[in-house]
Amino acid sequence: MTDAALRQPQLSRSPIARSERTARLDGNPWTPYLFAAPVVLYLLLFQGYPLLRELMLSFTQTSLLTPQTSHFVGMRNYAELAARPDFWRVIGVTALYTAICVVLAIALGLGAALLLDRPFRGRGIARALVTIPWAAPPVAVATVFAWTLNAQYGIFNHWLKLLDLEIGYESWLDNPRLALPAILFTTIWQIFPFSSVVLLAALQGVSEEVREAAQIDGADKLSIFKVAVWPTIRPTVALLVLFVTIWSLRRFDLIWVMTQGGPIGATKTLVIELYTRAFVARELGEAAAVGMVGLSIALVVTVVYFWATQRAERAEGRS
Amino acid sequence: MRSPASHAIRMALILILLSVSVFPIYWMVVTSLTSSANLFADTPQLVPDPAQAFNYADTFSHTGVLIWLRNSAIVAIGTMVLSILLAILPAYALSRFRFRGKGALGFLLFATQMLPEAMLVVPLYAIFANLALLDTLGGLILANTAFTVPVITWILKGAIDGVPMEIEEAARVDGCSRIGIVLQVVVPVVAPTLAAASVIAFFHGWNEYVFAQTLVSSQYLRTASVGLASFVGELSTPIHTVMAIGVMYTLPAVLFYLMVQRYVVAGMTAGSVKG
Repeated sequence: MTDAALRQPQLSRSPIARSERTARLDGNPWTPYLFAAPVVLYLLLFQGYPLLRELMLSFTQTSLLTPQTSHFVGMRNYAELAARPDFWRVIGVTALYTAICVVLAIALGLGAALLLDRPFRGRGIARALVTIPWAAPPVAVATVFAWTLNAQYGIFNHWLKLLDLEIGYESWLDNPRLALPAILFTTIWQIFPFSSVVLLAALQGVSEEVREAAQIDGADKLSIFKVAVWPTIRPTVALLVLFVTIWSLRRFDLIWVMTQGGPIGATKTLVIELYTRAFVARELGEAAAVGMVGLSIALVVTVVYFWATQRAERAEGRS
Repeated sequence: MRSPASHAIRMALILILLSVSVFPIYWMVVTSLTSSANLFADTPQLVPDPAQAFNYADTFSHTGVLIWLRNSAIVAIGTMVLSILLAILPAYALSRFRFRGKGALGFLLFATQMLPEAMLVVPLYAIFANLALLDTLGGLILANTAFTVPVITWILKGAIDGVPMEIEEAARVDGCSRIGIVLQVVVPVVAPTLAAASVIAFFHGWNEYVFAQTLVSSQYLRTASVGLASFVGELSTPIHTVMAIGVMYTLPAVLFYLMVQRYVVAGMTAGSVKG
């Protein structure tokens, strides 16, 4: 809306002209630094400095109980992690959890967005209701899902019984095969509204002309989606992939409250392993090394995202 | 495309979608109102009969829920106020100035998204111990703000990008200082986004668990997320009490969200889609 207003002739400015004007308006070249300084200092103190300390901690053996007797061990924590088979299992669980979250949360979000995009009676209410899971506190979500999945009294097993399936009566969160699916179901329930809200906004950008032209040509829904919808929302989907990946790598509260990573490590992601190492095993150095591995994975994902989006932009520029 | 059959299928899918979205919250409310005897009946009651509002009175008197909710409110409001105060000027700088280090600032804001809270909790514990911030709600506000302020800055930057320069120039001609322009001209124009950003920061503080669990140890400083989580796996507390606490913790947030949903969605999509 405002972009359109700025593009009107009497207001139009080339980027250069606008920046010159900004500079002239400005006067003091230090102003932007003064404006940014509080936040930069704040983030360095509460994010940068702790991160640096965590990095240094990862090269030491440090106990939570006696942190003052910390000593330097070089890469030993990392070497030990790499040598432990259960750590590779943690990586595997994290990868599986993240991949399924990304695919299902975005696919369901897109499905919901497409359902709620075109007008119908009550659309406003429907759009509001569908975002409820996203507004609910994760710990409360974990608590109510643990209750619905309760082996004996949970309503979920009650429904399975009604369907007369051979499964049922399962203690979902205590069963190593079922705990991860249960955690995934809960996580996806909570986060798919985010992707649907963001994708609903992106769908506003779909060109009605292209859509109608395709419709007049007799294209079916799938072709219309390919021609008119997908090209418009693709950058948003890419951004969602990045964010859901990073958030899944970070997610702690929901998993911790539901299973604490159990049973026998079936839901133990990197962050759960990190927390367990630090506060149950009380080995801060090892915990820090786990954290650094997780952060490296997040960094790699981010770099790949920027590389891929830039390549896509270049490819579009050429064609 | 507009055939009655496809319309019916679409409406059915929408109904399923909404049921799935709303049911767990509904179930929390139902369980909180169910009597102990009926909780363990063979057939779960979809409508509690009789509805036991007494469960709530019982919960108030037997748990610290009111204090926990108060603590959560303090943390959430504190996080909200501090995030907004810190974010306005850098958002303006990112939107309106060209300066060396702008890219680095953008990266710093983005990089915070990658850090798991659980990872920073150990070093933050040590830092807070030195600053006498351990076991204080103020410490929680400071820790939470480190995670909200980057997002809020980015959302506000998106909004300020849309404010025409001409409005600012008029104020400049009238002799207004730069900070005066930001506070008196830009902030009122982006007020709806500012409201959305406030709500997002509020929710972060209201929902946060890791820091509240580890940086605070006093019972009377527990937030609702920690208080609620403390019942999981504990057999002595009846499930309807746990769910009653869950309802008191969830419903204010959800109702508040539904009231301001329009603004939140606008702010969020401005920040994340343009980002």
